[in-house]
Amino acid sequence: MSYKPTLTRTWWLKHRFFMLYMLREGTVLPLVFLLCSLSAGAFALQSVEQFASWQRFMANPWVVAIHTVALIAALYHAFTFFKLFPRVMPIRVGTKLVPPAIMVVGQWLAVVAVITVFLWLFVFSGAAHGIVAGPGGGV
Amino acid sequence: MQQHEFDIIVVGGGGAGLRAAIAAAEAGAKAGSNKAKPLNIAMLSKVYPMRSHTVAAEGGAAAVTRPDDTVEAHFDDTVAGGDWLAEQGVVDYFVRHAYQELVQMEHWGCPWSRKPNGDVQVRRFGGMKTERTWFAADKTGFHMLHTLFQTSLKYPSIQRFDEYFVLDLLVSVQQQVQGVLALEISTGELHMLYANAVIMATGGAGRVFRFNTNGGIVTGDGMAIAYRHGVPLRDMEFVQYHPTGLPGSGILITEACRGEGGLLVNKDGYRYLQDYGLGPETPLGKPENKYMELGPRDKLSQAFWHEQKAGRTGKHHGSDVVYLDLRHLGKAYLYERLPFICELAKAYVDVDPVHELIPIRPAVHYTMGGIETDAHCETTLKGLFAAGECASVGLHGANRLGSNSLTELLVFGRLAGEQAAARALQKGVKVTGLEQESQKLHKKWQTKLHKLTDTSQEARSWVPIKRELVATMETGCGIYRDEQGLQQALDSVRRLQAEFQHVRVGDNSKAYNTDLLHCLELEFSLDVAEAICLAALERRESRGAHQRLDADCTERNDAEFLRHSQVFYVPGKAAKLKWQAVDTHISAPGERLYGSAGSAHAGAAAEVQREPTEFEQKQRGKKEGSSDGGE
Amino acid sequence: MAANKGMQQALVRVKRYLPEEQQKTQSEPFWQEFTVPFDESTSVLDALNFIKEELDPSLSFRWSCRMAICGSCGFMLNGIPKLGCKEFLRNYSVRTSPAQKNTATNTSITASLTVEPLAHFTVERDLIVNMDEFLIHLEAVKPYLIAETSTQKQLQPSLQTPAQLAKYKQFANCINCGLCYSACPQFCLNPEFLGPAAIALAQRYNLDSRDTGKAVRMPMLNSHNGVWSCTFVGFCSDVCPKQVDPAAAVNQGKVESAKSMLIQMFKGSTAHEL
Ligand SMILES: Cc1cc2nc3c(=O)[nH]c(=O)nc-3n(C[C@H](O)[C@H](O)[C@H](O)COP(=O)(O)OP(=O)(O)OC[C@H]3O[C@@H](n4cnc5c(N)ncnc54)[C@H](O)[C@@H]3O)c2cc1C
Ligand code: SF4
Ligand code: FES
Repeated sequence: MSYKPTLTRTWWLKHRFFMLYMLREGTVLPLVFLLCSLSAGAFALQSVEQFASWQRFMANPWVVAIHTVALIAALYHAFTFFKLFPRVMPIRVGTKLVPPAIMVVGQWLAVVAVITVFLWLFVFSGAAHGIVAGPGGGV
Repeated sequence: MQQHEFDIIVVGGGGAGLRAAIAAAEAGAKAGSNKAKPLNIAMLSKVYPMRSHTVAAEGGAAAVTRPDDTVEAHFDDTVAGGDWLAEQGVVDYFVRHAYQELVQMEHWGCPWSRKPNGDVQVRRFGGMKTERTWFAADKTGFHMLHTLFQTSLKYPSIQRFDEYFVLDLLVSVQQQVQGVLALEISTGELHMLYANAVIMATGGAGRVFRFNTNGGIVTGDGMAIAYRHGVPLRDMEFVQYHPTGLPGSGILITEACRGEGGLLVNKDGYRYLQDYGLGPETPLGKPENKYMELGPRDKLSQAFWHEQKAGRTGKHHGSDVVYLDLRHLGKAYLYERLPFICELAKAYVDVDPVHELIPIRPAVHYTMGGIETDAHCETTLKGLFAAGECASVGLHGANRLGSNSLTELLVFGRLAGEQAAARALQKGVKVTGLEQESQKLHKKWQTKLHKLTDTSQEARSWVPIKRELVATMETGCGIYRDEQGLQQALDSVRRLQAEFQHVRVGDNSKAYNTDLLHCLELEFSLDVAEAICLAALERRESRGAHQRLDADCTERNDAEFLRHSQVFYVPGKAAKLKWQAVDTHISAPGERLYGSAGSAHAGAAAEVQREPTEFEQKQRGKKEGSSDGGE
Repeated sequence: MAANKGMQQALVRVKRYLPEEQQKTQSEPFWQEFTVPFDESTSVLDALNFIKEELDPSLSFRWSCRMAICGSCGFMLNGIPKLGCKEFLRNYSVRTSPAQKNTATNTSITASLTVEPLAHFTVERDLIVNMDEFLIHLEAVKPYLIAETSTQKQLQPSLQTPAQLAKYKQFANCINCGLCYSACPQFCLNPEFLGPAAIALAQRYNLDSRDTGKAVRMPMLNSHNGVWSCTFVGFCSDVCPKQVDPAAAVNQGKVESAKSMLIQMFKGSTAHEL
């Protein structure tokens, strides 16, 4: 003699915390789109025509919009991840915890550094010089 | 009715119960190695073990630890703290086994606070001459209870009956304990559990009073159950008021605050304790053992009472209060040593101790008395053992020193477990007619529960009785008492006991009938209250936590009252009181002195030099020397 | 607590379930409303006790310490898991409009809240849930110190520096209230999931410098119902009344689990090569 309420389909709408969580999980969708686009680009390298059509595809305003969303989504995901990171990998000096804020700032500095390197490589020095390799990875 | 057979039954899942169950399991395992099977242990508790009120203990647990400390000193502090009403052989055993038990807790993982080099840290505590209190921040009881509970999971021979409410003992016609009768809270079903040895570890009875530091479950059940079977309740008049409870709720602000250097001031910001034989004032940031704020609890609570009478207390939401000042300790230190206190003050009186004074007032805290046991934790009823706050093994005398009781749970919990195991392994004396006794007991309770939940009768709530009981006890058995007030309180309690006979709970369901449980708890509390009032009335002297204002009773009177009170239950009639000799074979009764008066005595055994205050004059006397605590 | 003049009134809606009656009548759990007087210091637990003592003795709930340390009194308050004794009615105030006047007492309602049993557990009666569902997980992780004690060590405490203590202390502060399980959608979907508090407790011992039992505990954490059931919703840490941060424990557990699996793989392959 007892009862057990089950999770409703709309459980995540009941609290802001859960909505933000769903949003974070949702960031995967534009990112998948972005990865598909990039893979298509790699595939398109096979012939000039294919590459040209790929370039047209990439210039489509809808595609640009989705990729912008993907960038924002990636930054949002980074934001949530950076906040969690100090808790998953706490760093201690003696009995004192390194303040999470410092670690969060550190991670954003790394992001800024990566972006700067890319900007320098592709925008300022110009991709025309044919530099292909860039520092990979992220955080 | 379901029936279960065990070798040992432990009633209570607090610190004492868990320690006893583990000790019994270990003794059983040892015996099991050369016997056919290890001992089977049942542990019953009306709440999940980690909810037991041991969880609320904050300050710490005492044991001689530092090289400059001695077990003799711990012995002296405890015996003097208890105003010579402690059983000295028991105290001696206690101080010698305390350290080993705390080390055992360490090996089980208890997160004791540490010194930078990794050694266990000790702190000051009221009435203790030297720093000897082990602590885990300000949640010592919490960490001890969880450590014990988690450790108990290692022993498959301990079978837990969580949320089983024990109603009664099964006693054979040969006057031997044979088991317990319990109510399974989730189903309302009765269970009979059989065993040759039963350990009571049901905790105190602070909820008999209105304003107290105890949890709602601390209602004296085990004391009343044993008492109803003829086991005397001993020294029940000694009820400790803790000087620092939060106004309103009674939530405890640990003595460790003062151990760490906290100050007590009245509404004028004056450290009033210096006027009550605890001075001279110790400088800020230099607390001294047994001086001022580190005097024993009874003295501090009594000082509050005087300040209140003199109109020097402040007000917090209608309660008279004095103030605890921790501000000079600074945020970092407070958060490291007293984080829970900061949390409690913020949540329950909206005060930030880093910047503000905490309003506090005395609250009922601890029952020194309880089920009388011998030095081996066995009661006068064969096979029934008791340990922890429900027991009176004779450790605390007329006043308990803070941090002695958590250690008591371990030292005597273990002893009770081992003794019970030894009893269980003995070839039992032939018990006859058990079947009948068991039937009788079952029938009796079935009828009783049926009557209580009989909805064909008009419901008469237990609530008004409870409210009157707790108010009566607060007025009649307060910090200071007198004949008239005590007599009135006793009469009221007896009237309430009679009224209780007409109680009918409104809820007749089986599953989780908490209304019925509260009602049964109240009946237990009424019996315990009667014992407290009777013993307090008959003790016509002032000793430790029992202070009387009526003429001829304001002093300690060793000639007549260097004795334990024993209250006996008489079915259907008023309880009876007897007196029992006290074991003082190691240290003869002397004067209890604190502050400079105490040091002067201890140092040169000479008279105090400065002008004594009026209060001190009353207290002055000669200490008759104390020998060391040899066995 | 008597209804004094200076007191305000709160509307408390409680989810009720009386198994025996409702079995008979085949009815569903229902809501019941109570008007409760309160002041600055009235906790939700005080309000429930007022209801039990003054209005309806059949209302059942667990409580004991009333100081946020025993872990008995977890409820859903306005849908969020909280300790009843640590929440105050003053924090549930509503703006009064004439429409909300309580007709019976002719006083206006200045606070209102709903109280339900902890989510994701089986409800046994009123606000009482089946806590065994929580305890089995706790017991499963072998939550006790596993270590060899030599006879010499038996007589003296082991050393542990404040820094070593600080590594696990936070996870040792769990009061087993179960709020984090009510905050965890994964536990609801998969009741076999060990859950936040149990994993925090496993981490508590794994990180203890005196413990050598990690190898025994890791298989539990590595398993399907261990750390990998967690999708880092993180709400468990938000609701924890003791700042245990169980989400951190679970995700530290993931790092450990990944490490131990990598080591397994590495060991496996080197063994192969040799
Ligand atoms: C707020 C507070 C702070 C304290 N601080 C300190 C301190 O710093 N140092 C110190 O030394 N001491 C301290 N004390 C005192 C000490 O904590 C207690 O004396 C001690 O914890 C009592 O432990 P126990 O095992 O005897 O009982 P409890 O922990 O109260 O356990 C009683 C057990 O019995 C069970 N039980 C009771 N009745 C029944 C029944 N009818 N059926 C089934 N089971 C039942 C309960 O469920 C529970 O499991 C403090 C006390 C309080 C209240
Ligand atoms: S981790 Fe926090 S929320 Fe979860 S049971 Fe422990 S104390 Fe409660
Ligand atoms: S009653 Fe103990 S946590 Fe609320």
